[in-house]
Amino acid sequence: MEGFTYVDIFATKGIEYLLVISGLLFFTFFWRFLSRPAVAVYREAENVASTISDWFHLPVEGVYFHQGHSWAAPEDGEVVRVGMDDFAQKLVGKIDAIKFPNVGSQVAQGEKAWSLLVGSKSIDMLSPVDGKILEINERLLNSPESINKDPYGQSWLMKVQAPKISSNLKNLLSGSLAKKWMEGVRENLLARMNYNLGAVYQDGGVPVDGIARNLDRERWDEIVREFFLIS
Amino acid sequence: MNGITTTEEMHSLKDFLIFIRSELKPKGKILTPFNLISAPIILLGGVLILYRFIMGMGAVVHNASEYPWGIWIGFIVMVGVAFAGGAYVTAFIVYVLRGEKYHSIVRMAVLNGFLAYVFYAGAILLDLGRWWNIVNPLIGNRFGVNSVLFLVAWHFLLYMIAQLVEISPAFAEWLGLKRARKFLASLTLGAVIIGITLSTLHQSGLGALFLMAKWKIHPLWYTEFIPLLFFISSIFAGLAVVIFIGTVSFRVFDKDRIDEEYRKSWDDILIDLGKACAITMFVYFLLQVLILVHGKNWALLNTPMGYWYLTELMGLLLLPAFLFGWGVKSGNPAPIRIAAVLTMIGVIINRIDYSIIAFKWYLPFSERYIPSWMEVVITLAIVFTMVWVFRWIVNRVPILRKPPQWAIEQEQEEEEEIEGRAMALAPQLGLTMADGGKTIDLHKK
Amino acid sequence: MGIDRRTFLKGLGAGIAGIAPGGSLLPGRVEAAEAPGNKEFMGVIVDTTRCVGCRSCELACAEAHNLPIPDISDTSVFEKNRPTSETQWEVVNRYQTEKGEIFAKRQCMHCNQPGCVSACPVNAMEKRKEGPVTWDTNCMGCRYCMISCPFDVPKFEHNSATPKLQKCNLCWERLKQGEKPACVEACPAEALTFGTRRELIEEANTRIYKKPNEYISHIFGEHEVGGTGYLYLSSVPFEQIGFRSDLGTTAYPEYTKGFLYSVPVVLLLWPAFLSGVSAITKRKDNVRRKEGGKV
Repeated sequence: MEGFTYVDIFATKGIEYLLVISGLLFFTFFWRFLSRPAVAVYREAENVASTISDWFHLPVEGVYFHQGHSWAAPEDGEVVRVGMDDFAQKLVGKIDAIKFPNVGSQVAQGEKAWSLLVGSKSIDMLSPVDGKILEINERLLNSPESINKDPYGQSWLMKVQAPKISSNLKNLLSGSLAKKWMEGVRENLLARMNYNLGAVYQDGGVPVDGIARNLDRERWDEIVREFFLIS
Repeated sequence: MNGITTTEEMHSLKDFLIFIRSELKPKGKILTPFNLISAPIILLGGVLILYRFIMGMGAVVHNASEYPWGIWIGFIVMVGVAFAGGAYVTAFIVYVLRGEKYHSIVRMAVLNGFLAYVFYAGAILLDLGRWWNIVNPLIGNRFGVNSVLFLVAWHFLLYMIAQLVEISPAFAEWLGLKRARKFLASLTLGAVIIGITLSTLHQSGLGALFLMAKWKIHPLWYTEFIPLLFFISSIFAGLAVVIFIGTVSFRVFDKDRIDEEYRKSWDDILIDLGKACAITMFVYFLLQVLILVHGKNWALLNTPMGYWYLTELMGLLLLPAFLFGWGVKSGNPAPIRIAAVLTMIGVIINRIDYSIIAFKWYLPFSERYIPSWMEVVITLAIVFTMVWVFRWIVNRVPILRKPPQWAIEQEQEEEEEIEGRAMALAPQLGLTMADGGKTIDLHKK
Repeated sequence: MGIDRRTFLKGLGAGIAGIAPGGSLLPGRVEAAEAPGNKEFMGVIVDTTRCVGCRSCELACAEAHNLPIPDISDTSVFEKNRPTSETQWEVVNRYQTEKGEIFAKRQCMHCNQPGCVSACPVNAMEKRKEGPVTWDTNCMGCRYCMISCPFDVPKFEHNSATPKLQKCNLCWERLKQGEKPACVEACPAEALTFGTRRELIEEANTRIYKKPNEYISHIFGEHEVGGTGYLYLSSVPFEQIGFRSDLGTTAYPEYTKGFLYSVPVVLLLWPAFLSGVSAITKRKDNVRRKEGGKV
């Protein structure tokens, strides 16, 4: 500014304001564009949808569910096969070991029966029936990870002698009641999921570290306990 | 109605008109002390406004050549806008920070803000000598882009629109316009974000107007930080006004105009607002001290203007800040209410200082600006008219009571929709989330 | 400057006028017949050592601008210090100084970077390339220019229903005809000298240099508030003839520069920041709702 001719120090102001206005419009669209979930997520979500719905498939007749995600299947007379449902394993993820009570000891319906050891954490599960443990599935003791194969068949956990079997079964869910209950569980699970989930299921399969950990990495065991009714 | 007028709609249109007519009738008692005082003032003010427009400003305004901006700008606009700050602060807390607890006061604050802008900024028209040219900076009969006032004018206009958008769902609820409400409600967050931005700029812009009045304003008030000071003081000024209006509103309005839950939550909210005020005012006080030291103006404190400055700083800033703090600590709303009133007085004085008291402070008393009685009456008339309109709206529109059931449901649906979108899963699964209670067959795939 | 502001503003105006109703009804700009080329500021030297206080300039000014004709034989007006007013674009004042009575005329200083021009929201105040600061009728009458003027010159016709802003325009209408300002032409004592600002500063320096005893070594307006079109010479310090000594050399628009520069920045950053905050609180809110909603 030499002081002999006019220099406008605000010469570009008008252009700046126009730029800002168009910038804000652009920002709005950009923001909305980015806020829409990615196409890939949608696609993964489809996979997840089909995968998740598998977990809620209930076996044919003859299996009775406890709401803590254990099941009981009466065999001959008072002998009952006991196990955990498919969903329970999916929720927990890779199980390092299962801690059973000794053969011959008593279990009671709705009370702690066995524990799943996952990493440093131990999660209890409830027994579906009252009775005395007759046998423990040796196959699972050696390879607990195989529990997911045929959860209602080969992967039973133990056999229990249940003298009060008929009254016990009345407290368990089967058929349409079980279906309804599972529906509720599924809804509960979906309500907790966030959209990060889609990314976890790259291959459309179940994550090795379990669905609970994807809900909340820090407090996943608490969520599991909620589902297993341990609290 | 886009060509598809059915008999049913005609019918509802008729109903609508009947509804409007019934709503236009006065509600509540007419002969109240407030009405008896304010009505004559408003009438007289109206006459004087007419007089001002016919005869020119000089007929009404006192000593205007030394003081270009009297109480119409100095009080109505400067103070009115600062007092409207409650709108953007509450909107920030409720819509951006999602403080659901304060949802009950947000409409009151925004309505107050909107009316303040309409009336107080509208009062600019009175103070514009060539008022018929008011549209010039907007329509571009030359854009003075280099002017602070140009910005302030544009921000006023845009912010009024933003506030109208923020408050419009309430009016749609009143009129039962469901689809309009849905659309308007979807604009709220955007309007709030733009509104806060505009507020930041024009609250500080009002301060920036005085940056070029360098030697005309007493050095204790003139600093290059005026914009910042104006912005920060608008935060606690606005909150103090929300406290004041809330306290008055929850007392004077009929029970059926106020939601019982809102009324109960008010005392709790009041304490929180007091806390926000105390902290903001304390920070503002420190800033003032910093600026005083920065300007090396401490020697001026021991002058008559210095005493005035200290009165303002201690009595109307630090004292109410302390009262706010006391009220918050003791859980007692009484000191908070007193503090709110003191704070409002403090902000009024602060704003008047800039355009009147500390403006050309060196002139002898006989040459100083003292508002004429006509200016005062017009000012009061404007304030009272605003109170009347506020009352009229609160008596009809769901401001202090909960929205109608359909609006609440609409809101929930909206939220679920948004939540669902965020989940990305939900639309695929055809699920409604958590509390939606809708179940869909997952096995269809 | 790379961008011609006027051209840009016209474009801007046309753009918005298309949107705004009545945009096409805008009164046309009162365009000065601008000669091409890089014009330099014109200005006036007021040599207060030569002024005899005859007030011929006041009379000439009033005649040139259809203002009430002052009675210049009346010397009682000197009793008190008169500011410019809506009926007097310029006034001659008498000051008692250490060197006796000194007369000095006051009017718009025609700053190089006028505060009033940067204050005007409609560019009714305009700094012409030739130097004059002029007023136009698209003014809203906000009187922000009065607040912003470092010399408190602009005056408003408060008592009119259709008021105008009144101030010296350096006889802009005469300048366009190639004539000198009326006051300069009327001065019988050669106290007023008209020319380009560059020449005037040289001339003023020459006078000070030649007669160091008659002048103090300061041209008022050379640097004050970024330089002014009117330049004053005096035999006494300028405070004694009614000028402020605290005006500084900063051009007044510079005081709002910081604020105005920050506006576009805030306009861009604030919405982005607030959107971010909102997105985070929404996420948290959703999580909270889920946990509270169904467990």
